[in-house]
Amino acid sequence: MINGQKNFKELNNTIVLYADNYINDTEGEKLEEICDDFLGKGIKNFIINFSGTELVNSIGISILIGIIEKIKDEKGVIVFSELNKINHSIFTVVGLTKHIRVSKTEDEALKLLENHRD
Amino acid sequence: MKHDMTFHICPDSEFFGKQREIDTICHWATEAQKLSIGMLIVGKRWTGKTEILRRVHQWLFWNQARVIPVYYQFKTCAYHEDFAEDYVKEIIKQYLAFIKRDVQVIRTEVALERLEGLCRDIDIPNISGLITRYREAKGNGDFLAALRNAITMPYTLSLHSNIPIFLILDDIDCARKIVLSWNGVSMMREFFNSLYPKYPNPVPFLMASSIKSVLDDRGLSGAMEIIKLDGLEEEIAVPMTIELCRQYNIEFDTGVLAFITKKLSGNPVYIKNIVWAAYRAGRDFINLRDFIDLYLYELTEGNLGFLLFSAIPIESLSDLRVLHTCMNSRNSISEEEIREKVRCSTEEIKKAVGSLVASGLLEKDIGLIRWGGDDVVKDFIHCLYETRIKGKSTEEVRTGIARKDLKEGFYQKGIKVEGRIKEETIEIIEAFHGQKIVKALLNNQIFSAGYEKGVFHIPENMRAEDVVTLPQIIGCFDALKWEKETEPTIIIAYGFQNNRYDTAHEEVWIVGIKEDMVPVNPDEGENFIRRSSILKEIFRANKVARWFVGSEGFHAEAQKRLDSEGIYSTDAVQLRILKDRIMEEKAADRSSGIDVIAPNKEFEVVLPMGSKAELVAVKVLEGICMEMGFDEDAISQIKVALVEACINAFEHCKVKEGKICLRFIAGRDRLVIHVQNKGMNLDQLPSMDRIAFSETRHGLPHKKGWGIELIRGFMDEVCLETLKSGTEIVMTKYLAKKGDIRNDQRTEKF
Repeated sequence: MINGQKNFKELNNTIVLYADNYINDTEGEKLEEICDDFLGKGIKNFIINFSGTELVNSIGISILIGIIEKIKDEKGVIVFSELNKINHSIFTVVGLTKHIRVSKTEDEALKLLENHRD
Repeated sequence: MKHDMTFHICPDSEFFGKQREIDTICHWATEAQKLSIGMLIVGKRWTGKTEILRRVHQWLFWNQARVIPVYYQFKTCAYHEDFAEDYVKEIIKQYLAFIKRDVQVIRTEVALERLEGLCRDIDIPNISGLITRYREAKGNGDFLAALRNAITMPYTLSLHSNIPIFLILDDIDCARKIVLSWNGVSMMREFFNSLYPKYPNPVPFLMASSIKSVLDDRGLSGAMEIIKLDGLEEEIAVPMTIELCRQYNIEFDTGVLAFITKKLSGNPVYIKNIVWAAYRAGRDFINLRDFIDLYLYELTEGNLGFLLFSAIPIESLSDLRVLHTCMNSRNSISEEEIREKVRCSTEEIKKAVGSLVASGLLEKDIGLIRWGGDDVVKDFIHCLYETRIKGKSTEEVRTGIARKDLKEGFYQKGIKVEGRIKEETIEIIEAFHGQKIVKALLNNQIFSAGYEKGVFHIPENMRAEDVVTLPQIIGCFDALKWEKETEPTIIIAYGFQNNRYDTAHEEVWIVGIKEDMVPVNPDEGENFIRRSSILKEIFRANKVARWFVGSEGFHAEAQKRLDSEGIYSTDAVQLRILKDRIMEEKAADRSSGIDVIAPNKEFEVVLPMGSKAELVAVKVLEGICMEMGFDEDAISQIKVALVEACINAFEHCKVKEGKICLRFIAGRDRLVIHVQNKGMNLDQLPSMDRIAFSETRHGLPHKKGWGIELIRGFMDEVCLETLKSGTEIVMTKYLAKKGDIRNDQRTEKF
């Protein structure tokens, strides 16, 4: 939860998750739980919005890789949006950017998913 | 045109005069026909070997095209798998960097697979084939073949390239410490076999080692040129130290600096360390006492001690006993003799001698062992021995060293330091202009009572008699014309009180100056009393003040006599303060000159284990980085590395409720972060790292092992050390200068 508010929203069969300021084990697991719930309900499109995320640590990375794995298992699609420079560097070093789509804005991410459906 | 640095080197202003050696090596490296197959630089720790090697690499990289320079620095602790991978990566990266003339390639952390792809993309298939061969051997679990492929890579690369490789191997003695998994395989043998001229075109190489015995039994000594690197000679060390002192606004006496450079064995690292320490502590090098206090503090509690403690491999009290015995033995000594003195088992002695010889602290020649360290290490070992084995207090040991090693040794050698006290005293007298000063600055006894740790405490409730009003001096001259004696020098200064130029306000100062670096003794005190009394009669005035300036202070008896005669007494420390007081402009300059963070300013943080505890360290880090002037991108990169180092340290804490200790050292051009825990041995880490490169479902990267990779990727230098008490990661980030691409996004290239 960010500032006591719900940290995801549902839009056109797509789930947009809002990542916390610091993605560690706890925050990563929260994202994973939400993804698990919605994957269980048959939703396959996910956007993780990192606009509020200053830093992702290696444990957070490992959980994010797990989330991507599960989504890919279900033939789903995931887009990371609004990454800051350092987080983009981290995901590049790890090699994640080869496996997922990255968009500058949430709207762009939604469009990417719409095009994917088409 | 100034080229980008290939590897970090110190600023030219702090360089240490080894240009002749660098020129010789560069000339040799680019010669078509070489008489020797390689060069070995042998020198004690911190004598500048790495700096020379890196400067050679820098020159070869930018100024010629006959050879491709490849620099590799061996780590203090590594597994063969990690070494092989790291070595291959470095060689290929530097090969590509040279071909493309792009240093960014060297600095970028990149996986081997990507290098392989890159070689293929830019159409150098032979090279990508070499990488493939290495990876296949490794993939098939044939790690010995992989290691041999790695070690012979410079040779095979030379065969496939039009330009030969010039191999520069730093800390080659550390290659012996690489952990191997096979019996009968020796890392050094493998290495030297790859260099030995059994091939038609052997790879020319330059190596640096702390110990000459690295060549023993390799049959290479005859085919190699050996350069022995000692500390700096006085004529180079003193000007360099003067320059450093000026850079940091430290006042100095050239004679004292000459003594300092000699005491510190002309070692550039020690010299820089002590100058920075003086800057941090706001101390000067005007007299020996300033240096002695600082040196002993640095050795026992400061950075110098920390540096030595990290570098000297003392793992047990037996090691310390062996080292102490050899250090104090006038001649070479056998293991048997050591055993008799230290009462340890033969095995313990053998083990201790082995590791101490490997570190260069001891030297072994035809079975006899002798001390191989320098004077500073000797003092350090002495401190450790006296405190840990003999149970003395640090203060007691410090006093002992000050008395014996410095003062007595200094006087016995009869070194006379030519100071500038006379010139400074005249400068000060000429600046007398009716100022009011604390009388303690003119009375050595009162001053000594109120002076502590570099600060003079002005007594509360000052009375009129505690203050001296100086005259306005109109001129001063040497008293030589008026007397036959010359030692100590006497200066006569004429002036008036209260700006009233009449006989009633006339004032004369008779000033004796003793420049020798020994305190004024009673005879010299009497000499000045007698001579100044005669001069007092010659230079009659309404008021006559007599003042004795003794660079190193006064013997108690001399002080008593001078006091009884109403003669002022001042040592070099008082003189410095006096100078600052009466020359306000200069004092203002001194304070305004400090507008940047002090070099090697240190901060320590202890983190308890807990959720998000690493973010506390990040907060501290942000403040330090901003003050140092790192840009936003660099700060973010350091933050990532710090978080990962903390997580790693917590993860491997042996103790359940463990803590980790962080040490931030902010220098002028770099930030060094030490993260220490009571953790597992580092040799457990590399296997985890490797996990990061393998892939899992859907071709995704593996989930674990990214911490160390991110640290390596975002910091300029990373070192993993095993300490007696645990594990330490030391990470360095350099401040990017204008035009330096060090802090640019490191991932863009690949």
